[in-house]
Amino acid sequence: MKVDESTVKHLADLSDFRLNDDEVKRLGGDLENIIKYISQLDELDTSDVEPTYQVFEMENVWRGDEILPQDANREDLLNLTVETIDNQIKVPKVL
Amino acid sequence: MKYIPTIGIECHVQLCTKTKLFSEVDNDARGKEPNSCVSPVDYALPGMLPRLNGEAIRLAILAGRAMNCKINENSRFDRKHYFYPDSPKGYQITQYYAPIIGEGYVELPSGVKVKIEHAHLEGDAGKLTHFGSYSLVDLNRVDTPLIEIVSMPDIHSAKDAHDYCKELWRLMRYAGVTYGDLYNGNMRFDVNTSVAPEGSKKLGTRTEVKNLNSFRSVERAVEYEIARQTKLLEAGEKVVQETLGWSDATGKTTGQRSKEEAKDYRYMPEPDLPPIHLTTEFIKEESAKLPLMPADYRTKFGSVIAGDTLEVLLDYPELMQKLGEIDEKYVKNASNLFASVLLAEEKSAEYLNDLPSAKQLNDLAEMNEKKELSSTATKEVFLRLFDPQMRGKDTRAIAKELGVIQENDLGALEVIVDAVLAKPETKKAQDDFRAGEEKVIGFLVGQVMKESHGKANPSAVQEILRKKLA
Repeated sequence: MKVDESTVKHLADLSDFRLNDDEVKRLGGDLENIIKYISQLDELDTSDVEPTYQVFEMENVWRGDEILPQDANREDLLNLTVETIDNQIKVPKVL
Repeated sequence: MKYIPTIGIECHVQLCTKTKLFSEVDNDARGKEPNSCVSPVDYALPGMLPRLNGEAIRLAILAGRAMNCKINENSRFDRKHYFYPDSPKGYQITQYYAPIIGEGYVELPSGVKVKIEHAHLEGDAGKLTHFGSYSLVDLNRVDTPLIEIVSMPDIHSAKDAHDYCKELWRLMRYAGVTYGDLYNGNMRFDVNTSVAPEGSKKLGTRTEVKNLNSFRSVERAVEYEIARQTKLLEAGEKVVQETLGWSDATGKTTGQRSKEEAKDYRYMPEPDLPPIHLTTEFIKEESAKLPLMPADYRTKFGSVIAGDTLEVLLDYPELMQKLGEIDEKYVKNASNLFASVLLAEEKSAEYLNDLPSAKQLNDLAEMNEKKELSSTATKEVFLRLFDPQMRGKDTRAIAKELGVIQENDLGALEVIVDAVLAKPETKKAQDDFRAGEEKVIGFLVGQVMKESHGKANPSAVQEILRKKLA
């Protein structure tokens, strides 16, 4: 599978990565190799195999609907951000 | 050429659980400060793991059954990836491949049936407020449990789109799964509309109007889109598939002007949440908790309460439940008071939280039907019953205190009538009546009413007068 520059840029965009031109060129080749390696699995017929959703073999891990104290309060959490206004997190304008 | 519209609707319903879908933090942020109902899980701190709220599963079962849907024994969660400041995780936890609620249908008051494709559980996103050069983020709403209800493209008019949304709102409130406060976004609608030439087997290109939060906006937005798309097609132009916003002020839809590229959410199974497996017994047990639905009340009261009145009252599950507790023979009486007196009151919304007891309402209806209370007095006592201090008090005692019980005791009435007839100022009226002047009886009844301080039953008084003057 060919991974061209526009595909790399699209993936970078989806992943919120900023890449320079060098990286865009190099990563296309890297990704092609990775996909080629993984594609060896395509040789197997898996049409009757259920996909893996989890590896712990658990189900129905639920909790009760009770409010519990949290390990961090609003101030602790807001302190992790760059800037706040009136207890809200300030971010560049998005629309 | 005639064009046929086709509409499908996605509805997000916020569930009224105590805690959020994936953490033990307060889910009810009404009137609370920004970012005060946020856990480290909502904040997506490294290493934080979601813990599924079992109550959300129970409510999802009720919501599903309210829409006559199949509940899937096996469901699970997936990650839907996107970067936006309203979602610290960088993905939304939703059910993409195996939703908890399967196919079903919603029947509108008109009898039209709208099929439900499926409905799934997911976490809500935070709230953004936009300012000149920046936006502010409040994460209180992050991972409030939602069910997203996806209808089939079964709707063919703006009116039906309106009625479908309204019926969903009713169903969800009757099922008790949401506060249903539309103004505060407890239910939000995304509407897909397309038009195609009559007889065409293929649907036209659709547009999606997002985030409508009133039935009226849904109806207007659909009307507008049908007209806009029909005009484009008639002019030989094409409808562009896009996401639109709706403005109530201008009454128009507008493009969001974002890049219209194919969405790529890279869904993957959520590895931190084990799948849900519901046994048949569990589903049955939980489904049995579903109270009577609007359709049940339509069957139950359809022959007693007038159709228009019933549809108005159906907006208030509390009232319908109360009517269900009242003696069958007084349901009509009480329903009229609810519709014509209570809902006309300015504070009726507050009253709904604390309704009079069924006994109080039964007694009131009985006193009214026995003419112990005039219709004016019945209304007065009825409203008095909503005073929280009257709770547990006998209706008759309340009416007595208000001094509005009509005198029906014929013996007592006769005494008053005799006293009035003995008065010289009524002499002429008595003579006139005997001479055949019918309408003078009104004057005499009035005199007796006055003498009784308004407590006499006017029709009983008239009967006695006619006997005496015969």
